[in-house]
Amino acid sequence: MANDQKHTGGSLLFSVLQAHGVKHVFGYPGGAIMPIYDALYDSEVEHYLCRHEQGAAFAAVGYARASDKVGVCMATSGPGATNLITGLADALADSIPIVAITGQVPTSAMGSDAFQEIDIFGLSLACTKHSFQVTDIKDLARVLHKAFAIALEGRQGPVLVDIPKDIQQAEITCTLEDLSQLRNKVELPPVDVTQAITLLSNAKKPILYVGGGVGMANAIGELREFCNKTNIPCVSTLKGLGAIAPENEHYMGMLGMHGTKAANLAVQQSDLLVVVGARFDDRVTGKLDEFAPNAKVIHFDIDQAEINKRRKADVAILGDLKVNLPALAVPLSIKAWQDECKQSSMDSAWRYDHPGESIYAPAVLKEISDQMPKNTCVTTDVGQHQMWAAQHMAFNDPSDWLTSGGMGTMGFGLPAAIGAQVSRPTDCVIAVTGDGSFMMNVQELATIKRFQLPVKILLIDNAKLGMVRQWQDLFFNGRLSETDLSDNPDFIMLATAFDIKAKEITKKNEVKDAVSEMLTHNGPYLLKINIDAEDNVWPLVPPNTANHDMMESK
Amino acid sequence: MNHYQLTITVDDRQVVLERILQVTRYRGFLINGITAVVNTGTKIGTIELMVQSTRPISLLVDQINKLIDIKDVVVTHDSVNG
Repeated sequence: MANDQKHTGGSLLFSVLQAHGVKHVFGYPGGAIMPIYDALYDSEVEHYLCRHEQGAAFAAVGYARASDKVGVCMATSGPGATNLITGLADALADSIPIVAITGQVPTSAMGSDAFQEIDIFGLSLACTKHSFQVTDIKDLARVLHKAFAIALEGRQGPVLVDIPKDIQQAEITCTLEDLSQLRNKVELPPVDVTQAITLLSNAKKPILYVGGGVGMANAIGELREFCNKTNIPCVSTLKGLGAIAPENEHYMGMLGMHGTKAANLAVQQSDLLVVVGARFDDRVTGKLDEFAPNAKVIHFDIDQAEINKRRKADVAILGDLKVNLPALAVPLSIKAWQDECKQSSMDSAWRYDHPGESIYAPAVLKEISDQMPKNTCVTTDVGQHQMWAAQHMAFNDPSDWLTSGGMGTMGFGLPAAIGAQVSRPTDCVIAVTGDGSFMMNVQELATIKRFQLPVKILLIDNAKLGMVRQWQDLFFNGRLSETDLSDNPDFIMLATAFDIKAKEITKKNEVKDAVSEMLTHNGPYLLKINIDAEDNVWPLVPPNTANHDMMESK
Repeated sequence: MNHYQLTITVDDRQVVLERILQVTRYRGFLINGITAVVNTGTKIGTIELMVQSTRPISLLVDQINKLIDIKDVVVTHDSVNG
């Protein structure tokens, strides 16, 4: 055939990646993936060498989350492949479309406990949406096409393709498949929203509960139109932040364990929850039996398995939010409830008049949020700083807010920021991190240095594993077990060693100028702020407690 | 403890049986018995799975249905509803 081309397995891989629009991949070479890296040498695909395979996986996740593209990462067999697993699990928990390519020992050696051999195909079952092992070069292109299709269809997720070394080296002459064959396996019946409209129209105290599925469905416009037409009081999950317009006067902030008082109280009092792309996660519901006890539920989702999983839906609306949500957008007569919610928000508004001389992290995050350019993408790690960022920063789109939600993976923020910066090279990218999390993938400073990525890093340093310390203080009788990090390295010296400009501040009156300096610096920058180790994240709903019984102080 | 029997129809692809077993265990169902046959002509497999759990069987059915190579899942016996 005229379009037939001669390929090795390695070169075919990159041809298929390019056919899917892939321009960037993140990875780390090794013995069993060398033929692929040899083919990379001739490819137009740009490779970002990370300094650990976990960093490569999180960079791919950040790349995908900050854009509407699939993230791609690569690693060798054995330890290279196992190092990807945490990133795959993170992507599965947060429904992020990535394709992971792993090298494998040659097929003739498989099953012999060969050097750097591990059954990554078997290991992948619990941490991917789907996985493949290619055992015939003739299957390679079809499998790779399918990997992209599966990653993107329905509820998105990570797909792993394990390619033995001999398959990478094998030769084949072929024509690439037509990409239009991709189809969505999720076959959903037409939706009748009549019952939902009746429920919504009759509700006296409805709440819109928005999750990460809105951004994944690319239905931000439809959601905001729904808000505008209904003027319904609304709350967001951690992953849903950015979907509701920050200026929406009926928005009460995040709900759940560290949600706002107004959001949690309103949900508890509501008589109808309109749940959009959310899954009643335990960090959202608190004690499930007492979550929104008087509310009926309308549940929009793309995943049948989320319906009735943790909370029974009175009406389930399965399918594409972009199509289904507008059908429910009816004007509501709920002025008394709107006023009550607004008053509650005003009564419990955040305060930044923190006593003492030490820097107050929420005030710094508010300052950054106020100063940062409109299209800024913020990543976080996991812990107190993550919850403060969620509480005190405002985002215009979920793709501007990358945080490890379902898996809660420390070490996410820095490599995710690398991926975000590669996918959005002209936008400001800020990694908000803590001193515990930062050290978990600190080697990625070398990636920032190598590619001169202008990532800004806000390091909130309390010389503690702060969230665990907070829980030990509150729920384990103050027995502070293994949460002291007072022997941290000199972070300024560390950043400087990677040619990254760094600054430390310790006083409140330094914050404004320091934030400005960081945001306007032309290149990577680390700003370290030292905070009081006793500062806690409030409010806090204690474990297995109803959300209305939140703690607001010690 | 409730007992159920599922009949699962699958495309006979790599590790489809392992995937079903992994999901069944992870979602809180104990396997009491299993039979599996493949029609080598059509390359369609049929798996009979006997399970027990305190959880509703719909949770497992929905999760198995999400697996890529699954064609159909039917609850063929249910000790709760007869």
